[in-house]
Amino acid sequence: MPPMPPGGSETVLGADVTFKGECAYEGAMRIEGKFDGKITSKGRLAIGKTAHVSGEVTVGLVNVEGVFKGNVASSEKIELAASAQMTGDVRAPKLVVAEGATLVGNVVVSPDALKGAGSVERDAILSGHAPQPAPAVRR
Amino acid sequence: MSKSAGRRSLLCPRCDAPIDVSASTKSVPCPGCHRNIRTEDEVVNDYQARVEYYNEGHVEVAKKGIIIAEVRVRNLTIKGEVKGPVRARESVQIAKGGRLYGDVVAPTLSVEEGAVLVGRVEVGPKRAAPLDSPALDAVPQAG
Repeated sequence: MPPMPPGGSETVLGADVTFKGECAYEGAMRIEGKFDGKITSKGRLAIGKTAHVSGEVTVGLVNVEGVFKGNVASSEKIELAASAQMTGDVRAPKLVVAEGATLVGNVVVSPDALKGAGSVERDAILSGHAPQPAPAVRR
Repeated sequence: MSKSAGRRSLLCPRCDAPIDVSASTKSVPCPGCHRNIRTEDEVVNDYQARVEYYNEGHVEVAKKGIIIAEVRVRNLTIKGEVKGPVRARESVQIAKGGRLYGDVVAPTLSVEEGAVLVGRVEVGPKRAAPLDSPALDAVPQAG
């Protein structure tokens, strides 16, 4: 979990909590229990080692140590710890994946990832419409 | 890549056949598919557009290097640009300024700040990067 800003507060969903629904907050939030739904914030989100989170997450900074299934859009950075197990699409300007972490999904990591430029570029590449290089040489 | 007493054990990037070679071996014919396997560590400084780029060593794509190919390597460090599906037996590292456009299958992935990664990713300790992985089905349109 990244250090809290001075004077900042953190909302914690404990390990014995099961939450379904939408959640919005400012500042920081830490999930140790089960969460199913949508999270929207410009702040920080920490998904603890015991957490099982599924749904859509749109936040500033995400730190994943537990299990996450769903799509994540981050305006700052996504960090996957070694214990993280993540399945879903990822969109962020920065991504850090620790050794041992599991990540399966479509990833767009670039400075303009949230502007949609990455997806356009990806679609162009995968559909073969990207600028083509010189003829290939088999060696 | 296991090294002991000047030997190392490799797997063919095409057929996964095990091969035991000297640590100084630069290339070796595969006993399974009879194709040549490059095993020498390499730094790519230029533009290389190929159907396939296979090397059972450590490949570094330097700042000015560009690879457009299906890439299968042991370790890959990207400081330049790679377009195409990537499978690494050990790790993929995208350094600051590095760009990877393609699907990735590897046990470990490191993306530094300022790097670009666009594609489907399958990363994890159990991702042994099997040859029939769906992430490798999309061969780049390299010419």
